[in-house]
Amino acid sequence: MRSLFSLFLFLFAAVVSAISASGNRLLVILEDVAEKTNYSKFLGDLESRGFQISFEVPKSESLALFHLGERSYDHIILFPTKAKGLGPNLTPNILVDFMNAQGNILVALTSDLPTPTSLVSLLAELDIQLPADRTGLVVDHFHYDALSSPDMHDVLLLPPPSATTRPDVKDFFGAGAGRDDDIIAFARGVGAVLGSSELLTPVLRAPRTAYSYNPKEQSEVVDDLFAAGEQLALVSAFQARNSARFTLVGSAEMLQDKWFDAEVSKVGEKKAVKTFNREFAKRVSGWTFNEIGVLRVNWIEHHLDEAGATNESNPKIYRIKNDVKYTISLSEYSWTTWNPFTLPGDDALQLEFSMLSPFHRLPLTLDAAHSSDSASAYSVSFRLPDQHGIFNFLVNYKRPFLSNVEEKNTVSVRHMAHNEWPRSFVISGAWPWIAGLGVTVAGWLAFCALWMYSAPVGGKRESKKTQ
Amino acid sequence: MRISHSIAPALLLLAAGAAQAASVWGFDDGSVSVVAKKSGDTIKEKLSQKTPLLKPVSLGSTDTLKLSLTAKDNGKGKRPHQAFLLLQEQDSGLEAPFPLTVKESGKAAVQLSHKDLPIQLLVAAKPLKASVVLASFGSAQGLSTPVFEVKIETDANVPSPAYEKPLRYGKKPEIHHIFRPDPKNPPKVISLFFALGVVATLPALLIGWISLGGNLSHLSKAIGTAPLSHATFLGSIVAMEFVFFMYYTSWNLFKTLPIIAAVAAVTVLSGTKALGEVQSRRLAGER
Repeated sequence: MRSLFSLFLFLFAAVVSAISASGNRLLVILEDVAEKTNYSKFLGDLESRGFQISFEVPKSESLALFHLGERSYDHIILFPTKAKGLGPNLTPNILVDFMNAQGNILVALTSDLPTPTSLVSLLAELDIQLPADRTGLVVDHFHYDALSSPDMHDVLLLPPPSATTRPDVKDFFGAGAGRDDDIIAFARGVGAVLGSSELLTPVLRAPRTAYSYNPKEQSEVVDDLFAAGEQLALVSAFQARNSARFTLVGSAEMLQDKWFDAEVSKVGEKKAVKTFNREFAKRVSGWTFNEIGVLRVNWIEHHLDEAGATNESNPKIYRIKNDVKYTISLSEYSWTTWNPFTLPGDDALQLEFSMLSPFHRLPLTLDAAHSSDSASAYSVSFRLPDQHGIFNFLVNYKRPFLSNVEEKNTVSVRHMAHNEWPRSFVISGAWPWIAGLGVTVAGWLAFCALWMYSAPVGGKRESKKTQ
Repeated sequence: MRISHSIAPALLLLAAGAAQAASVWGFDDGSVSVVAKKSGDTIKEKLSQKTPLLKPVSLGSTDTLKLSLTAKDNGKGKRPHQAFLLLQEQDSGLEAPFPLTVKESGKAAVQLSHKDLPIQLLVAAKPLKASVVLASFGSAQGLSTPVFEVKIETDANVPSPAYEKPLRYGKKPEIHHIFRPDPKNPPKVISLFFALGVVATLPALLIGWISLGGNLSHLSKAIGTAPLSHATFLGSIVAMEFVFFMYYTSWNLFKTLPIIAAVAAVTVLSGTKALGEVQSRRLAGER
């Protein structure tokens, strides 16, 4: 039954996700469709990964994100545009609706053009703050590209992101990249400040000496500092509770052809190095458009784990203090295939057994016997609490960059039936009472016999009484 | 403005040649002072860009810290675009920038007190690491150097600010349910002693009855008069106890009740005969 079900799921998933785990209709919004030549390698990479790209300009009449209440596109890329707003078809409201319908958005900004108000409002909705006046430029006088911006210092050279700050988070963006050889060039970009929301994660932070200023007003003196150092997020990721993804890339230029294969040179180093931008852009767009970091629950099974008990799957009811085993099978989508999901080093997949609040929160361990080439099973055995009621097996696995897993299976836990307790003769404290019962019974029988068959001792006294 | 920025260093470069290419930012006349608001006391320390101060500067809740310096590009006073004082919390590496107000001559200063600090820095256990960053456009090499440490002194009379860490998705602490303790029994010796005490009352009762003259002498007479009814009556009483025993060990109520009814009927029917015989003995004066 289980294998049939997972086979069905697998076939279903295979049909839906040829390239991305959630569809391949991609909308690209540009100031001018001719501008797409600047991004030809980035867009060509996307096309070669199977996306069907449509190009539109923001003010286009025919542009509609929804048709008859359904999404017309699965993903959107918004490149910088000149206009103050984005027109009636791309209001912040519509973009939020698009995300609520599980659409993914990638926004690229540039410091050359003020950010459209529509996007500023959308970002404010997601707790991302942009510099005042919608204009900002990130510079770093210590980590700039000596070849292309020896004076303005507005092309930042950054090492690829690493997982050192949080070892329990999977490293999707910098994995496999050498910290010295692979350099990301961040050219003329806008830095953002992220709110404290748990849904937001910075992908690429600015170095500690970087800062953001307004090139129009603060070219002499930075009188009002927006943000500096690692508080500036250059590339940031947002994943909504429905796993819709939103990525803000501060520099649209870093996605352009000229930075994909450009050679850059760090300050004080003679050697020119090729940038890591192409691979980084692939990973950022791949994450945004559900090509990596997508989790799928294949099946969930729980059963009584006691000797001699029937091994029925997913019963509706258990008894208190029963030993049970819970197993969940997870797959992770990685570019083209569903792979077994492996936990990042320091992380734990946890099962909560909860009624209002958790009674148990236990780590699940890999169950090789039920794993396969495309799925890994995690299981845990435990004893149900000594409290009856309606309980949930809850796996609430929410992690940065991984799509949310929230699986709740409700079961009843009944109390002990009267014949499931130990018998009274097993309980040593009951022995005097059981002995009392036996003595009463024996005494009663002896009394009956004595009363019926006892002959009088003094016959005379008895006869007197009867007279 | 932008043009002047890019051209000025270029011109400098042209003018000064290779020596100017190695131009570096630095500062002179650096000092940090803490002014206590209540007493008006001032503690002033000289700063050097080479070596940081050895002892941390302490900043009380009403004090004001003032940092002043003169920024210099290759020894000449000049205004850098970036002149920051960075305060870093040492455990988390969290850093807060405080831009200095810089004059054209390079004289720069910044003042800060507790209310300017973010709460994460206020509640820091270790002294904050203060660094000065001076840098600008062009080829001049920037300066980023630790200069001193600040110890945040909290006032014992004022409740320390509460800081709650923001929620981050990650693994949570494990919970293992604590079961109620199993019911306990007294030591078996005690149970056994009292059980034997209870059992001992039966022989005591029988001995008591016998010593008062109890006997079964009329058994043969009764069996002789009404053999069947006496046997079934006594047998039905024993059978009833047996039914109760079976109910205790294995039977359920629905099996027990009809059997009780059957045994009770036998008891009543045989009982009338058997007890009639007992009555006849009483009337005959034999009891």
